[in-house]
Amino acid sequence: MATKSGNATALTVLSPIKNGAIGETSFADITRERCMRLPIHEQSPLTKVPNTYLARLFILDDVFYESLPANDSIFNFSDITSIFFDSARKKALPRKDHLKSKYLVFSSNFHGDLDAYLTGMWEKWSYIDNKGVQRDVRHIWEHCVAFDKVTDCAGFIAYIKKCQFEASLFFNGSTDDSLQEQLKALYLKQEFTQFAMEHQGKSAVEIQQDFKAFIARVQPENLIAPTWPPGKSTP
Amino acid sequence: MTKDLDLTDIQGNIIKAYGAYNYQKARYLFLRINNGDKGRKFVAAITTKVTTGVSWNKSGAGPAVEKPMATTNIAFTYVGLKALELPTASLRGFPEDFMMGMAKRKDILGDDGPSDPENWDNIWKERVHIWMSINAQNTEALIERYNWVVQQVEASGGGVTLLTGHRGDAGEDDLPYQEASVLYDEAGNPTPKEHFGYTDGIGDPVFEGQTNLSARVPGRGKLMRDGSWAPLATGEFLLGHVDEAMEYPKTAPSPTLLSRNGTYMVYRKLHENVGTFNHFLDEQSKSFPGSKEMLAAKFAGRWRDNGAPIVKAPDDASKAEWDKAFEAADFAEQKRMLTDFTYNDDIHGAKCPYSAHLRRINPRGSLEYGVTGAYETPGALDDRRRILRRGLPYGSVKDATRDDGNHGIIFMALNVDIQRQFEFVQQQWINYANDFKEGNDKEVLLGNHDARHPGKVVLQVEPGSGKPPHFINNIPRLVETRGGDYFFIPSITALKLIAAGMVDPT
Repeated sequence: MATKSGNATALTVLSPIKNGAIGETSFADITRERCMRLPIHEQSPLTKVPNTYLARLFILDDVFYESLPANDSIFNFSDITSIFFDSARKKALPRKDHLKSKYLVFSSNFHGDLDAYLTGMWEKWSYIDNKGVQRDVRHIWEHCVAFDKVTDCAGFIAYIKKCQFEASLFFNGSTDDSLQEQLKALYLKQEFTQFAMEHQGKSAVEIQQDFKAFIARVQPENLIAPTWPPGKSTP
Repeated sequence: MTKDLDLTDIQGNIIKAYGAYNYQKARYLFLRINNGDKGRKFVAAITTKVTTGVSWNKSGAGPAVEKPMATTNIAFTYVGLKALELPTASLRGFPEDFMMGMAKRKDILGDDGPSDPENWDNIWKERVHIWMSINAQNTEALIERYNWVVQQVEASGGGVTLLTGHRGDAGEDDLPYQEASVLYDEAGNPTPKEHFGYTDGIGDPVFEGQTNLSARVPGRGKLMRDGSWAPLATGEFLLGHVDEAMEYPKTAPSPTLLSRNGTYMVYRKLHENVGTFNHFLDEQSKSFPGSKEMLAAKFAGRWRDNGAPIVKAPDDASKAEWDKAFEAADFAEQKRMLTDFTYNDDIHGAKCPYSAHLRRINPRGSLEYGVTGAYETPGALDDRRRILRRGLPYGSVKDATRDDGNHGIIFMALNVDIQRQFEFVQQQWINYANDFKEGNDKEVLLGNHDARHPGKVVLQVEPGSGKPPHFINNIPRLVETRGGDYFFIPSITALKLIAAGMVDPT
């Protein structure tokens, strides 16, 4: 179950990567390199997945082992037994945990319905890789366990949901409006700030006339254009 | 916990802003070390004349030291210390920012476009090793001391080179020193002004171990909850002393004798676009509801003529009142009027804008935004971002409508942690405004305004006043970096150890 905050969802997906390699390169390293090489800014495939606020991809190698935690007791019983038996000392240490696979981690904060979002990932995720080849979402998940059984959108949705974790402490960094609304709002804010700057001290008549032209140009109701394009990072 | 400082061990330029002691002239020299052994001998020779922080002929404990006609101080870049063959274990303990040097940190500092290192004076094309300053009460003393230094360079037999490549008044670009001087008024009297006309050098931080604390600390130390001021921890400005986090600064290399009583110095040559500034001020004041001087005061946070803080004199009428009180006040009271203030009565920035230079580089208690007890003390977010400011203007304005003359400020910031103090203020508070709830708006005077996407600043008004805020739009870049680097100013003890090749980190 993904955690929701109003209309915003924190999707957290851990997909196990197949153990093994092609030649001397492990599936995990192949996947890691593909993630590393994704184009950025307006060329990122995430700009094409509708309603993506902020997404992240990384490879999880293993969990960290935290050794004996500090505590405030003057002594623990194991401090005494450890003097006599090394096995007692070892028993007192926290158990070591390891993951059985490396994982592809995908997290995304997005607006709206989960199925619609995952459909967007299957159908719209698209980019040109660093060798000039057109790629879709399968290029990232290709070496994950059982992903070869995913052949259509319904299969992809089911697969991702199987890999889902519940997000706790979801802090949404913006409003829960649609991405288009938010980007349009950003665009309007910048344009309107500029308008206010340019019209400081002007007459009411001139401001009103120019404002009409301003509205005709920026089209506040039109979420498609003109607007701030997804993935754009500088003016 | 106020222990007196070992003033005989600390270089004088850390303790004193020489400009305030009638040292009207200065030269800054940069040298390269070509041979470790000869370089160390040069440092030993210079150390015999290095000025310490002792008081000059003042009443109080300790020997009376004659105030010299000229001072001399010395500092080193990381590569300079390497050339002097400090042990690797010592070198490894220096912080990353110091090791990289200022040019490589340009993305943090916003030194782009005209401020990019590719546009810096020729002297900065390769990293310098040694910085030296000569501050003098007159030109004769300046030249005498300079000649003495040149003699030491020659005596090193090629071990040390005095580097050339500074720009000069007559368009030269290969001078062997950077000249600096106070500006003089029409009558030939020295003034504390810089080339935009502002009164500079007010309000240096005050820290534990300095003398005469109670008189100097209001407005200059750290602001406490009850409204009083306390001196900042010594370790914010001197290595080897406890800092505001109750720790010894971690930017200190090993051994302690190398770092204690030393500090780091940021040296920046800042060219001032005088013509652009004058034109900008003239144009903007046409639509500004107030006088041109009031607008200039809104940019800086202080009025140009006498440095009156605008938060205490927010408009022309109150400035006239402030001036009357200032003229009637004695010297001590005048100092207090200039520095003892907070922004507590100005949460909205209607008096001193949030984008004014003064408020950006030292917001005092105002980051609490009026919420008492938001932090442990009102200045908690500010106390560890303070810097000691040193330096002088350079050059002169021959044509106030042009930018391309030789005029600006040699600015030095002294602090124990370049990244935490100087670089933070530069990156987060001058070139960015999130902490001031002003988005991307850069500080008017020092911000690295982008000609392709010029920014704005909002001059707020008091809510409910019925007045509209005033916008300052299309701000041009007023100050350009023309050179600089990061230096380590050693203590006298450390200088002697370095010179003797006896730095031992084990």
